Amino acid sequence: MLKPILLVEDNPNDLELTLVALARSQLANEVVVVRDGAEALDYLLRRGEFAERSEGNPAVTLLDLKLPKVDGLEVLATIRKTASLKSMPVVMLTSSKEEQDLIRSYELGVNAYVVKPVDFKEFVRAIADLGIFWAVLNEPPPGSFRYIPPN
Amino acid sequence: MTPPSSAPLDLSGCDREPIRTPGSIQPHGFLLTLSQEGKVLQASANLAHWIGVEAQAACGRPLAEVIGAAAEGLSQDLPGDKLGNRPLYLCTAAINERHFDVLGHVWDGLVLLEFEAALRAEPLDYRHLYPLLGDFLLKVNEKQSVESLAELAAHHVRMVSGFGRVMVYQFDRDGHGHVMAESKEDGYHSYMGQRFPASDIPSQARDLYALSRIRLIQDANYVPAPLVPPQNPVTGQRNDLSFAALRSVSPVHLQYMRNMGTLASMSVSLMVKGKLWGLISCHNETPCPLPFEKRTACEQLGQVLALCIESREDASELQFRLEVRRMMVAMLGNLTKGADVIDNMSGIFPELLRFARAGGVAIVAGDRVLTYGDTPDAAAIEDLVAWLELQGHGSEIYHTDALSQDYPGAAALRRNASGLLAMPISRLHKHYLLWFRPEVVHTIEWAGNPHEKEASGTASGSASDMASIPAPLTPRTSFATWREVIHGVSLPWHVAEIELTGEFRSALLGIALERAEQMAELAEELGRANKELEAFSYSVSHDLRAPLRHIVGFSDLLLESAGSEDTTMRQRFLTNIKESARLAGKLVDDLLSFSQMGRAALRPVEVDMSKLVASCIDKLAIEIGQRNVEWDIAPLPRITADPTFVHLAVQNLLSNAIKFSGQRDPAQIRIWSEQDAQETVFHIADNGAGFNMDYVHKLFGVFQRLHRMEDFQGTGIGLANVRRIVERHGGRAWADSVQGQGATFSFSIPRKLAL
Repeated sequence: MLKPILLVEDNPNDLELTLVALARSQLANEVVVVRDGAEALDYLLRRGEFAERSEGNPAVTLLDLKLPKVDGLEVLATIRKTASLKSMPVVMLTSSKEEQDLIRSYELGVNAYVVKPVDFKEFVRAIADLGIFWAVLNEPPPGSFRYIPPN
Repeated sequence: MTPPSSAPLDLSGCDREPIRTPGSIQPHGFLLTLSQEGKVLQASANLAHWIGVEAQAACGRPLAEVIGAAAEGLSQDLPGDKLGNRPLYLCTAAINERHFDVLGHVWDGLVLLEFEAALRAEPLDYRHLYPLLGDFLLKVNEKQSVESLAELAAHHVRMVSGFGRVMVYQFDRDGHGHVMAESKEDGYHSYMGQRFPASDIPSQARDLYALSRIRLIQDANYVPAPLVPPQNPVTGQRNDLSFAALRSVSPVHLQYMRNMGTLASMSVSLMVKGKLWGLISCHNETPCPLPFEKRTACEQLGQVLALCIESREDASELQFRLEVRRMMVAMLGNLTKGADVIDNMSGIFPELLRFARAGGVAIVAGDRVLTYGDTPDAAAIEDLVAWLELQGHGSEIYHTDALSQDYPGAAALRRNASGLLAMPISRLHKHYLLWFRPEVVHTIEWAGNPHEKEASGTASGSASDMASIPAPLTPRTSFATWREVIHGVSLPWHVAEIELTGEFRSALLGIALERAEQMAELAEELGRANKELEAFSYSVSHDLRAPLRHIVGFSDLLLESAGSEDTTMRQRFLTNIKESARLAGKLVDDLLSFSQMGRAALRPVEVDMSKLVASCIDKLAIEIGQRNVEWDIAPLPRITADPTFVHLAVQNLLSNAIKFSGQRDPAQIRIWSEQDAQETVFHIADNGAGFNMDYVHKLFGVFQRLHRMEDFQGTGIGLANVRRIVERHGGRAWADSVQGQGATFSFSIPRKLAL
């Protein structure tokens, strides 16, 4: 039973490239895609259009830093403040090399911070490594997502 | 007359001595008090000596029964409603073959009639009063200085009065008298230039000098004649004899006169601006009667002199103030030129020095001490400022001409800082402007040592009284010149200098405050610029990196798919590459325009907003394409603004409106404005997607988007530009929305631009 990966990405190009990279890593996990911070929180907190989803947290959340409405740092802060979410692995996946973003992310308790490589092959490798580590090797905390494949 | 007893006098009570109600008169005449009906109520005890009627016997009888036929000459002036509160010469009356000048005045509910013994039978002749005054007035116009006027007055008073020595005294602010002019007969000791200590004239005597402008003591050896009965029958109190010409004077004063070798004296008060400015003091070695009309002449001469002094002082005061103010205005003009008020101030050191006629000037700004001229060293100045702060002088001007009397550390500063004028120039910080005046060592010639009051040999009262009552004193006996060398004192600060320093301070605080506001504005502007710069570099690292990565990624995918037959996929990769490249280009353009917006100067002119909006709509034709857009544009006013910038802002807002109403058919865009005295507000409303008001605070941030890339294209810089443009005009930008129904973007431009 594999836990899904939650991908929070607003940019369609980044989304496509990330999905390609994840596919190439041959992970069997489902990838749940949400398109901004507000939607990510709806998913994680099981509210709004995600009110009906089954219990449990994703194996890992790949979170873009710059998002419309609610940005990645705000999503991260909410995750760490919410009892049921706070131990869930979160990886910041971003274009930003800005030190302030890095510091702020770690202050808020991010598990990993990955700057998206410009070179596509490196990008694919980075995403694959991430997926394998967090979705396969890493033992998630109890209460993580129990994946029930759709019928 | 016999000299008074040499019983010791208690000087400790000088200030409490009832000099207005002595209960007795000088005996060179007699006094009757009458009821309003003309009945004698009191008489001086010397009545029998002058007219052979016992005082006691006179009381209760009509005036005519007491003074006989002489009363007839007075009857028309009595009762008292024809008399005033100041003695009026009524007539010269003959009683019992003696002649008397009769003065009458009303006080305390009684008519006081004074009968001064006269050596002639004729009435007083005022005729020679006028030539005297006329002569004085003629000469007054030729005289310039107060000193020369005083000298002229002294001369004339001596001529009129026949007194041996006439001095004009001026009181200094401590009450010491300074002899500024003198006219004397040969053989009289000169007091010219000397000082009489304030203690020579007790305060209630000064008050009386101010009330009653002339006082004659005809013979210091007189034996006073008490009033019978001693109380005013109307009030039940001792009579207030303030205005009575015959009023008896303090025995202490008589002793003082005898000690001075002066048996007759006359004082004429010089009242300048309602205050006792000085005295014309006349002395004679021997007793000296002076008839009423001559006294009146002297009194009037005194009034003329006082008026002349007042006008001279007014003129020189005005001249002085004008000069100081002129300097202040010039300084303020220079102070507003540079950015830093403190620095500016050090640039006008010479003017600051002249402004306060100082020897040295220092600016203390926190730990900085800047000096000019002759000042104490920086460390001493810092100590002095610390002391000023401690004394609570941090908010008000402090001045002294004898710093060492106030400030314990001043002994070493005496040479160049005996005088200090300290002006705090900040409400928050330890900032001071200090003016220093050097010590002016000078010698004062006192008419007797003012620091000693010789104790009498005999003590009055019991030993137990001695503990609580100061040692009894006699009036001083020595008038020998006593020289005192004064140290640690500078020239006094002029009232106008102190007052104008206050004005100068207010103006400075005004400038400083304005400057502080400007600084705060600048800091705010700088903060905003910094934030924008951060956002700028952030987007270079973040937003610009993304399209580059996309180009690389999709190019790789395109290359990988070279062998594939899926042309749709390859087409999509190509489109993505093209779009990413276009976005990267647009981002660079936007970044450049945004950064330019911060630098370019505004060039405000009158802008016709209706025309401006029309031209924006023309430019949007490509974006609108085939879409159905309904415009509802109200007539718009003309405003003052930079047309290029405002064009850009409106273009951005209209482009947004078109973008976000993309799903609507028809798209409706409404533009209108409101205007009040302060500002013009423009609104641009659409019927598009709107946005969630929860995120409205992010709306105008740089590179913030509230929508997904593919929903609405844009770099997230348009609204940041709008806000920046509007704020540079001094206006505001805001937005409202009901999600799913549309948004209204508004901005204001002030009617009067503050640039």
